[in-house]
Amino acid sequence: MSKLLSPANNEVLFMGNEAIARGALEAGVNVAAGYPGTPSSEIIETLATVVKERNLYVEWSTNEKVSLEVAAAASFAGLRSLCVMKQNGVNVASDFLLHLTASGTRGGMVLVTCEDPGALSSVNEGESRYFARMLEIPLLEPANFQEAKDLTKWAFELSEKIRNVVILRSVTRMSHASGNVICGKLPTKSRKALFEYKGSIMDQLRGPVISTPVVIKHALQQEKLKKAVALFENSPFNTYSGPAKPELLLITSSACFLYSQEAISMLNLQKRVGILKLGCTWPPPPQLLKKHLKSTGKVLIVEEILPFLEENVKALAAGMAEDIGIKKYYGKMDGTLPAVGELNPDLVAEGLGKILKVKYKSQPPGYVKEMEKIIPMIPKREQTFCPGCPHRASFWNMHNALQLDGREGFVCGDIGCYALAALYPSCGFDTVRTLHSMGSGTGIASGFAKLGQFGFEKPVIAVCGDSTFYHAAIPALINAQHNRADITFIVLDNSGTAMTGFQPHPGLTVGAAGESVPAIDIAGICEAIGAKVAISDPFDLEKTCGLLTDFLAEEGCVKVLILRQKCALSPEKKGKKQFLMKVDEERCRGEECGCNRLCTRIFRCPALVWDRIKKKAVIDDVICAGCGVCYSICPQKAIIRTEAKQK
Amino acid sequence: MNCSSELENKIVKTGLCTSCGACQGLCPYWLSHRGKTIQMFSCDREEGRCYAFCPRTKTDLAKLREEFFPDADYIPEIGPFYGLYMTRAADADIRAKSQHGGTTTALVELAMRKGLIDAAILTDAKGGVNPKGVLVKKPQDVRKYSGSSFQIPPVLATLNKALEENRYKKIGVVGTPCKTLAVYKMKSRPFPDNDGNAGNIGMVFGLFCGWGLDWEGLEKLVQRHAAGKQLEHMDILPSKFHQMVLKTSKKQMEVPLEEIYPIVKGSCNYCVDMTAEFSDISVGGARSSEGWDVDQGWNQVIVRTEKGVKLIDLARKEGILEFKAVAESNLEKIKQASLNKKKTGLKNLRKLSGSKNNLIYLNPDEPGIEKACVDMA
Ligand SMILES: Cc1cc2nc3c(=O)[nH]c(=O)nc-3n(C[C@H](O)[C@H](O)[C@H](O)COP(=O)(O)OP(=O)(O)OC[C@H]3O[C@@H](n4cnc5c(N)ncnc54)[C@H](O)[C@@H]3O)c2cc1C
Ligand code: SF4
Ligand code: SF4
Ligand code: SF4
Ligand code: SF4
Repeated sequence: MSKLLSPANNEVLFMGNEAIARGALEAGVNVAAGYPGTPSSEIIETLATVVKERNLYVEWSTNEKVSLEVAAAASFAGLRSLCVMKQNGVNVASDFLLHLTASGTRGGMVLVTCEDPGALSSVNEGESRYFARMLEIPLLEPANFQEAKDLTKWAFELSEKIRNVVILRSVTRMSHASGNVICGKLPTKSRKALFEYKGSIMDQLRGPVISTPVVIKHALQQEKLKKAVALFENSPFNTYSGPAKPELLLITSSACFLYSQEAISMLNLQKRVGILKLGCTWPPPPQLLKKHLKSTGKVLIVEEILPFLEENVKALAAGMAEDIGIKKYYGKMDGTLPAVGELNPDLVAEGLGKILKVKYKSQPPGYVKEMEKIIPMIPKREQTFCPGCPHRASFWNMHNALQLDGREGFVCGDIGCYALAALYPSCGFDTVRTLHSMGSGTGIASGFAKLGQFGFEKPVIAVCGDSTFYHAAIPALINAQHNRADITFIVLDNSGTAMTGFQPHPGLTVGAAGESVPAIDIAGICEAIGAKVAISDPFDLEKTCGLLTDFLAEEGCVKVLILRQKCALSPEKKGKKQFLMKVDEERCRGEECGCNRLCTRIFRCPALVWDRIKKKAVIDDVICAGCGVCYSICPQKAIIRTEAKQK
Repeated sequence: MNCSSELENKIVKTGLCTSCGACQGLCPYWLSHRGKTIQMFSCDREEGRCYAFCPRTKTDLAKLREEFFPDADYIPEIGPFYGLYMTRAADADIRAKSQHGGTTTALVELAMRKGLIDAAILTDAKGGVNPKGVLVKKPQDVRKYSGSSFQIPPVLATLNKALEENRYKKIGVVGTPCKTLAVYKMKSRPFPDNDGNAGNIGMVFGLFCGWGLDWEGLEKLVQRHAAGKQLEHMDILPSKFHQMVLKTSKKQMEVPLEEIYPIVKGSCNYCVDMTAEFSDISVGGARSSEGWDVDQGWNQVIVRTEKGVKLIDLARKEGILEFKAVAESNLEKIKQASLNKKKTGLKNLRKLSGSKNNLIYLNPDEPGIEKACVDMA
């Protein structure tokens, strides 16, 4: 049995994301939808493993906005629904979210956003808490693993009480760390879907679900928010620990609570500093804050990414100044804590030290010296595409075709593993010149291609992964074709959402829970749009580069090249080598004129290693994936490949 | 110095590159696409063959000549000299498809049959558009590749690959003057340990050359005048005709020179060699009092080395070539035309360098250059 279904009162080691999933199950969730994105993906993935046992419908949607719409429909039908995404996904979903909060919901509906302070696996340090404030939605932030479960469960109840969606925000260190959680009861009955729409438009439970009349519904939405604040005032998820009159009041939420506790005990400040930990962060409960602010003269707000809590506390305090008096505030805004990046106990301790004049150096004496000794011993690992990665070959082809074309064309990059291509010289071969959000490479390319009348003559390539194609590239592709923007559009089809762990997407025949679903053909869509389409294997360097070179030279329509090759880490390929590789030392020219280390200096598959003593290239058999591509690039045919016997 | 970037920055980007292909086929860093020379990736070697072979990097022509033409007479305007001839192929089949008299084709075929060379690097002119370098291994295949293309394919890339393969030990090469100069730079083995088997170069056949045409320019011109037609031949007529002709099997189209001048290959403006001074034997069009109708079926040939002498004697003996008397004035005419090309080249080089004494890749003391300089002053 899945540990997700552990009986009540059992203490189970859950990853934060599993705890959230369990909380949703205890709340009797019926429908869960999401779009993969680190650090959020495990929530949908774990729920997908218990669809039968819990009678769930779980899906990976095409994008975040669609996933929110799918979840909303369940709520409209009186079911409980969960929608999951990473921070920037909320931006994608936000247009619908604005309208959803205006129409309100029925069955409990929770939007979980998992954010990535420090951008450990993102290309942004996005912050979605401001959406809660801007769109007037209650916001909850669990501060430990038990709360991750309990707050999720309560979020559904809250949502049903106020008949609106509730946001639950986690962060990488909460979602991906693990801790013990005491399980609650799983409901025994499942709800029946019932969508009532015959009532008046003012009847939130029986009328059509719409956001008009806008002003009246907007006022209603604000009433709901007030109801939520009233509940927050006495919520057990907001806790205080410390002296009754602390020298310094530390206000915090989320994983920062753990860092703060640790920092206080590291500095032995338990008697001087009190921690107000908020589980309900928007709207902040005014009476609770008033009580605690009154008790001290100094306030430190500890949080990650933007000073959201800090702004909110200060704004409330300004309104209550008459009652609470003047305070000194510390936090991100005055530089006590770093304005960007992840926090940790050390950084919080340093901040506390500054305020309370306690000596604290985050690094022990001699630390830097020791590090200087150790660092050269750490093997150098550049951030790059894996051995056997189809993207390395794809960008090699793009580079070569662009060079042959000779007009200094470039690639508009996109988000996925292939975003690594923006790194040079480790991979990408110095081709990627723009990199933004999902699908925007295509839109940007479409824009560049229309600058001819202003003297712009470079050919533009847009790339996107297969998952991104469905997510956001299609409208941009239509835009390019419709507006006669002659772009070359490359779909890096590695058959899965590799970056986030091979979640299925609309191009595949399996759904989130392994059910069979129809695949949506990328080539067919592109052809229907009117583009000229070709498919190639990026490992076939000659064919791919030739096709691409021709496409770049061709004017008059959008050209689509689908580069199809499975990810080296895909379940089908992992651990299986197609070729056994060897370098013939006699033939290898090494750094001499005639090669000058093309394989290790330029191509740089991590499995190709330069033997400094022999002055020859060698293949690191342990990590070589056996893709065989280096065989095709070696000018001396010194890299030999033999077909491996498949077991 | 980083030789590869030096080549990219000082030769290719400045417009000096002749597209000869000498830097290509040696390594993965240099390629050619539609007549353009392309550096694929940067190579950080200080010294390398690309730079050393390039006909547009600094060359001590006098030294090179001493090494390879020790016994020939030397005429500053036209280089090493054993004799000037007027010839054509005896075989009417060769003549029918060749550019002029088919001398080149006949000589290459003969050299291969007689074992003076064991393979040949020729150009598949394809009627003039989209030519390609080819390695010809059998004497009977030589005649498949007669005729001239005025686009300049990187033929020496094909040579480099053939040398590397090391299968043929006496490879003949046919090329325009820029190419044959590069071949002699290869033959001088600048890196004895890494000479790319330069010893496998057998004989060098030069072609007279006024200028080549820009790849895309010619393509567009052909599209304008002969769209969709399969061309079999093109030529630029003697200057008094003031035209270029394009021929299909059925039809001939005349294009006024006004359309040709703008598409002259830019780097040819910096060339000072009309007669392929670095070669065993060089071949061009004929000029005589009999007029173009006759001349277009004949060639003028300059023999420059002992090997060249041997081959032309063989051709006479075996009746491979027909000979006719060369008017005395012809040598003077060639010298004058050749000197004129040198002067134009020098003028343009001076303009590019911005200095009278800086001739970029040439040495002002070199006798042929000096002669042109004096003539200009
Ligand atoms: C770009 C160019 C400009 C020329 N300009 C002049 C000129 O101004 N005055 C003059 O007298 N002659 C010039 N020639 C030479 C002339 O066109 C003939 O090649 C020459 O007269 C030999 O004639 P043929 O009948 O013996 O040639 P063929 O027997 O037809 O043989 C021609 C040979 O030239 C080779 N060839 C064809 N095109 C090229 C090329 N682009 N690069 C290298 N090799 C090639 C072929 O492989 C073949 O071996 C020029 C040639 C070229 C390629
Ligand atoms: S590309 Fe080939 S010749 Fe060059 S270093 Fe690698 S194995 Fe050796
Ligand atoms: S075969 Fe070559 S390119 Fe592929 S993983 Fe092995 S070393 Fe890398
Ligand atoms: S010819 Fe030699 S020096 Fe030049 S680019 Fe190639 S390897 Fe480098
Ligand atoms: S002139 Fe020849 S050798 Fe020099 S850069 Fe151009 S193609 Fe290469």
